Amino acid sequence: MPAGLDNLKHIVVLMMENRSFDHMLGGLKAQDPRIDGLTGNETNPDINNVAVRVQPQALYQSQLDPDPDHHFPAVDLQIFNNSNPRVANMQGFVKSYFNQLRDSNHSQKIMYYFKPDKLSILSTLAREFAVFNGWFSSIPGPTICNRAFAHYGTSFGQVSMDVFVIKPPYKSIYERMVNATPKHSAKIYYYDDASSTMEIVNLFQHQPELFGTYEQFISDCENGSLPEYSFIEPNYNDHPGDSGAIIASDQHPDHHVQEGERFIASVYNAIRDNPSLWRTTALLVVYDEHGGIYDHVVPPACTPDGFSASANDTGTGMEFKFDRLGVRVPAILVSPWVPKGTVVKGPYEPGGRTFEHASIPATVTKFFLGDAQRSPREKQADTFLDLLTLDTMRTDAPEFEEQ
Amino acid sequence: MTVIPIPKKPRAAFNPNRPVSSLLKTQVLHLREVEKLFPPAYRPEIYINTIKTEGEAAEYIRSVTQALHRLHREGAGERVGPIAAAAERKPARKTRQKSKPKPKSKKLSKTGKKKKRS
Repeated sequence: MPAGLDNLKHIVVLMMENRSFDHMLGGLKAQDPRIDGLTGNETNPDINNVAVRVQPQALYQSQLDPDPDHHFPAVDLQIFNNSNPRVANMQGFVKSYFNQLRDSNHSQKIMYYFKPDKLSILSTLAREFAVFNGWFSSIPGPTICNRAFAHYGTSFGQVSMDVFVIKPPYKSIYERMVNATPKHSAKIYYYDDASSTMEIVNLFQHQPELFGTYEQFISDCENGSLPEYSFIEPNYNDHPGDSGAIIASDQHPDHHVQEGERFIASVYNAIRDNPSLWRTTALLVVYDEHGGIYDHVVPPACTPDGFSASANDTGTGMEFKFDRLGVRVPAILVSPWVPKGTVVKGPYEPGGRTFEHASIPATVTKFFLGDAQRSPREKQADTFLDLLTLDTMRTDAPEFEEQ
Repeated sequence: MTVIPIPKKPRAAFNPNRPVSSLLKTQVLHLREVEKLFPPAYRPEIYINTIKTEGEAAEYIRSVTQALHRLHREGAGERVGPIAAAAERKPARKTRQKSKPKPKSKKLSKTGKKKKRS
């Protein structure tokens, strides 16, 4: 076993909100051609069939308002562009955004992406550790059902934001951990009570003891009492706090992207600042779904989930058997045991691999538990700890400092 | 070792009056499903259809989150009935009802006996 795995005691997942790979990291291709980002020549037709090119003009805020539609029918348009015969071509993003304001100029903003220097934290982590060319959201749809895959390895047939119902025999990764023999530890850290969690009806209602606040996460990192598995949720809304204004850090449009950068740095620093924790922890930074924003990589087919969503539920007039992944999202694995500049090849590259949110419970289960009752998707999902390949721990990991 | 400055807090971005997104609306609705099952004393006096802004949503979210923690701390968590798991639990109830007389009330078994033991 590689030394990194021998040392590993903690897995931490930070799941941000609603940004596509190309939007956040696509500009890195110019610096490292191994990263499957943007050449600058990618286009989408607008409503008049005029090609709209990607542009490095993304702003931190006030550009993606209204929030780009990312519910199932809109994402279907984004991926397939109503093509006949039906072909996934990633050509319907501008048309989909146009549908919201009927403003051709505004709809072009869905093609904007960040220059790497505008996202110094995320870009640094991507360059310094392992960036995934092929990490996809689990469903071509919105937040709740995608986050369900991270918690349960399935959404139990749900493709929307509605309450979903847990169906035996599948259990959340937290329940698997804390009910195992020997018992393991796991926690979901939400930002604070005013932000709370998105996993309300099934986990939070019945097992609030599985939850902690971000303040507790910081304290657990300092005290060396971090659970074996931690899942962190960012702050989902602007609200007043004891120490002043608390700004949403989830990066969900139209929240300020830089506050999300600060939050990512804060999570990294909390682990990095405790040498014993840093040596024994792998941190995955990942986004739940693309938020309706352009990405050029066609989501691949996948193992059907064993559930299906009716034509009525999908809103497309077609049944969905969970046999295709959603749009690609940024994902970065951080550990001092990951070689600097690792680029994990995507599914369309020779020797490439495909990851999705079911890879999270799959990885945690494989490492801590060995096996469990798991959905077909989770059983097939690739795991990522084999990326901790170094024999000697790195000492050159970057530091993020407050100005 | 590379030292990267963390971006400054974008203080001007703070806007609790921003209209709620569909994500926050969903979160509020899910919390409302939980709140419906609270004993009356634990329910916040906020009507969710009056929530229009992030700040208002945050106030409601905080109230329900804190009430849920309080309920569980006070050992009353069992009174917060099952919600979404209803569909999961319905078959179980039916099975139990087959082997037990129907009149056994849910409230008796959930509040009275268990509370006395604790």
